[in-house]
Amino acid sequence: MRGTALNIAAVEPGTVGPCPVAPDALVGIARQQTNPSRWNGASWPEFARALSASGIEVRETTAARGAFATDAGGTAYGLAHGVVIARSAGEIARLLQSAQRYRVPVTVRGGGLTTEGESVAFGGVLLDMTGMSRVLSIDAKALTVRTEAGIFWHSLAEELRRQDLDYLSAPLNLTSSVGGTLGVGGIDVNSARLGCSADQALALQVVTPTGDIVECSDTQHAELFQRVILGYGQFGVITEATLRIRRYTPLRMHYFYYASLRTAIEDLQFLDRNDASDYSGILTIMDRAVNLLVAFDSIEREAQFMATWRPRLRGHGEFGFGARMLGHYALRPWQLGEALYLLRRKRELFPQLRRSEYMQGATMLDRSVVFSRAVWKFWSSRQMVIPDLATAAEKFAEAVERGNAVCHQYFPHYTLYLVGIKLRAEHSAHYEMSCIPPGAEGRAYGCEFEPIMDAGVYSRDYLQSFKNAIYDIGADMGASYYRFGGMMKGYIRRVFGDALVDRHLAWKRRADPAMILNRHVIF
Amino acid sequence: MNTLLRRARTPAKDYSDCSGCSLCLLVCPVWRSTRDLGMTARGRAKALQHGALAADIAPSIQSCSLCAACATVCPEDIDLVAMTLDLRRALAQSAAVPDLPTMTTARIAAAPTPSARVALLAGRALRERAGSLARVAALLGGAEAVATHLDNGADIALALESGLRIPAQRLEGFLAPLRPLQKIVVSDGLLLRHLHRWLPRSRIKSLGEALSSNTSVRRALRASDMYVIDARAYHADYERLVKYYDGLRRECGCSFNLDLQRIAIPAAAPGLGQTPEADDDGAQARWILQGRQVARIVVESLDERAVFERVSGLPVVHLADLADIGT
Repeated sequence: MRGTALNIAAVEPGTVGPCPVAPDALVGIARQQTNPSRWNGASWPEFARALSASGIEVRETTAARGAFATDAGGTAYGLAHGVVIARSAGEIARLLQSAQRYRVPVTVRGGGLTTEGESVAFGGVLLDMTGMSRVLSIDAKALTVRTEAGIFWHSLAEELRRQDLDYLSAPLNLTSSVGGTLGVGGIDVNSARLGCSADQALALQVVTPTGDIVECSDTQHAELFQRVILGYGQFGVITEATLRIRRYTPLRMHYFYYASLRTAIEDLQFLDRNDASDYSGILTIMDRAVNLLVAFDSIEREAQFMATWRPRLRGHGEFGFGARMLGHYALRPWQLGEALYLLRRKRELFPQLRRSEYMQGATMLDRSVVFSRAVWKFWSSRQMVIPDLATAAEKFAEAVERGNAVCHQYFPHYTLYLVGIKLRAEHSAHYEMSCIPPGAEGRAYGCEFEPIMDAGVYSRDYLQSFKNAIYDIGADMGASYYRFGGMMKGYIRRVFGDALVDRHLAWKRRADPAMILNRHVIF
Repeated sequence: MNTLLRRARTPAKDYSDCSGCSLCLLVCPVWRSTRDLGMTARGRAKALQHGALAADIAPSIQSCSLCAACATVCPEDIDLVAMTLDLRRALAQSAAVPDLPTMTTARIAAAPTPSARVALLAGRALRERAGSLARVAALLGGAEAVATHLDNGADIALALESGLRIPAQRLEGFLAPLRPLQKIVVSDGLLLRHLHRWLPRSRIKSLGEALSSNTSVRRALRASDMYVIDARAYHADYERLVKYYDGLRRECGCSFNLDLQRIAIPAAAPGLGQTPEADDDGAQARWILQGRQVARIVVESLDERAVFERVSGLPVVHLADLADIGT
């Protein structure tokens, strides 16, 4: 057998060889994807009986469990021993108390939009939080809302809009849940101004891993608040949240097109630095059609942008960019396939971004509806991998260009989604060991690298290898990741360092003695 | 042309194509009532993907209101209504469903008169109200032109909903008198969906669209009205009707029972009455009205009139009652 095929050094007989999972063993090795091992279910019957006795319904049929067998990523599969639909904080508290006693793992699931198996139960209980998805109260004067945390952001928007209100920022995905988002961060196209979605949380009701129901905020049980926000579900189950909201405004959206990633990134950062727009981000078709989108809440802001900042952007309008592309491909007939792909993508996608029922004159009524429907229709497939890199502003262009080269290497078609994230100094404790890169100040930037699978079929190992190649860039550049849990948790120590990880691990062990809550996500 | 060719080449998608995006949950009235993923199209598809049989998910299959909102938003374009009806058929075949309606193989019904150009397939509620039926006929072209007492296919609609097999002879007996007519106006949204398939060359409209196209009805609509679209009929022809109702909104300024995705929220649907989770307390109607400043409610479907009268305290009128027809 030729050992070099696996890129593992030969080992002298009788000696201890290099550890294949040691921190320095990852770079350059085509790794195989590994699911966590399934919990053996030793104490399940007693646990299930205890739950039933305390009035909690546990569903153990294949149909009930199969509905949660995978997440949006579709590459991690696992079956819970039973499913519990969350109905109240009290029930969840009793569930967690029993889980501690019987040492049964509990996996919490909101919208299930994870891609690394974080919301998949590999045995134990799957706790479906969408059962708790009602808006509890709206304070239109104070501009706050109190809601159960299993609610989808879109369902929250439906309720708020009846009072001409809106949330501040949420992932551009209709089926992200509030609780899940607060646990990991959440990025919107206004994050460069408002911060990540988790920054809008004012207070939370949390059920701790040992079953205490605690109200927490910056002033009340602040340490728990800091750990739970962006805490990847390690320190409690968020059952209710008080969020800042705002008056609803439709958007005035503009698109500028670039043929160069770096130029577009420079312009994006230029706009963000100058607070030139209310919304900003980049969405691409490979690195050929790079779309810088900017949007405004008011005519005044739009007019100011057009007068002051628009002339300084290097992007083109749709027509001008189309003409340039025509010239580009006319000189490169061997790239006809790519040109046709771009044309087809444009023909299918662009009308969806301008559907008349979602527009009122020149304004877009709801960005999440427009973009999320398009995302699910044109980007999703049964398998999705979306490795990402989050860096300080000055390292961002390099990180994106290196990630883009990896995408080129692995897939014929892919998309990149780039946004800025305003950082709040007062939230630095929340950001610790999260998607926010450790060295960033003022504003960080994130980029998602998403292959478009089309009809292609890829093995899970291939997809994992692609993710590793992207994450290796982050490890090399001192970046962080949005999706560092689940199947990607091998990178956690490399990115954050032993001291920080061990500190969080010690907190986790104190908070969750049996280590039952979301145990395969981080630790 | 390309689209047609692509459709012809692409096999119909089914539950195995569900990627689990959950968009169908957001618009599902049963989800809103139960907050139970297992009771939704996504829950059914995922259960089937993992080996469940129809009988294993019978309560979910039976609870579906067939409003078709889920099929409208599905990014995979899975025909979720057909999926649910197939499952009901499987249940019916396994005799897991008691009290199925019985189908006749033939039915004697009034044939359209030679002067009739329009078939009005009215539902039971409209047929039971002779005055309303006459007004609708008058608005659609007059008693001479509108055949109101044709075989309305009520048993076929019920069979579709229940998963019963429809004998070919019965179906042909229902369709044959409709073929020569210029236009078919249908109350039942589920029947409308299937008529589009069975009679692809016929001009088929929902009762709501047919009535709201009438100038005198449109003139009577006010900006302070809540116009309640019949969800089943709307979703049966969504891509066209979403634009139609958008135009009506711009013209009349009234509110609609549409959510942010422009999906119709049903106040009452036949299927909602089939399970313990039934929306018998008017929660859906209250949700439609929540936060809206309206002075009057206008319904397309007479089936939704009672629930709004119960929960709103506002005048509730049927679309046909709006127009001055000079009687």
